[in-house]
Amino acid sequence: MSNPSITVEVPDKKLPGDLAMWFFILAELTVFAIFFIGFSVSEQLNAEMFSLGKAQLHQTAGLINTIALITSSFFVAVALTKIHKAQAKQAVLLLLTAKAFAIIYISVKIWEYLSLFEQGITIETNTFFTLYFLITAFHLMHVLLGMVILSFIAHSAWQGKYQNNEFSGFEAGTSYWHMVDLLWIILFPLIYVI
Amino acid sequence: MLKGEIVQKNKAINMTAATKGWFLLITLSIIAVYLPEFVDSRSVTIMGALVIVALKGQQIVDIFMELNNAPKLWRVLFLSYIVLVPLIITVIYLA
Repeated sequence: MSNPSITVEVPDKKLPGDLAMWFFILAELTVFAIFFIGFSVSEQLNAEMFSLGKAQLHQTAGLINTIALITSSFFVAVALTKIHKAQAKQAVLLLLTAKAFAIIYISVKIWEYLSLFEQGITIETNTFFTLYFLITAFHLMHVLLGMVILSFIAHSAWQGKYQNNEFSGFEAGTSYWHMVDLLWIILFPLIYVI
Repeated sequence: MLKGEIVQKNKAINMTAATKGWFLLITLSIIAVYLPEFVDSRSVTIMGALVIVALKGQQIVDIFMELNNAPKLWRVLFLSYIVLVPLIITVIYLA
């Protein structure tokens, strides 16, 4: 006798992670939106200064950082699929890989800052570099905080705290990390490319 | 009464979707960087780069953040962000 199977599309409309984290992410995005718009307006008012400033930035370093952050985000996304399948150790390994790519980002960013300092360029050089250092350093702080969060969820996963469909802490941490990526994909073309 | 197995098909992210998303994000990033070398008009470069931002943002929001499977309001909020911010920037640059 046949045993028919039916596939049901379950309308599982659930916000991943904690609601508080999503409000926090929205607040962070709003702050950065103000920075981005402020930067654009300043560029319109000081077109030549911004054009010269952008020419002094290392575009390849920016691209390497873009690839590093996107790849890091990819490993974090895959780590989430592993934790959903109760494969905590694999998830931890993927989070550590994601952190390795974040370290590449941080190293390149520090190298960029040091290169500019060697040329005598600082936050006080002109409006372009004031905004460049403020926005990129603020973003870098978010990367550092994101790494702390990734370490925390990796530690919790290693201890077996994400079981029995209780993943909200892990999901909140991964969402924060993707926000860092989301901000960079706007920041990079705005400051380095266009 | 129907005998059988009910298979729940959930739309959560899987490895294939994440890999496709990653590949698209990297490809679009490289295109954005080299766009000014192939396009003479600065206006077109700005619009092209910011359209790419919106496309990349959609991948991150839907695939990495898994908001394609979240309540509509949250997805709309985040998709609005990655469309509105580049749009405002474009308007400022082209004004």
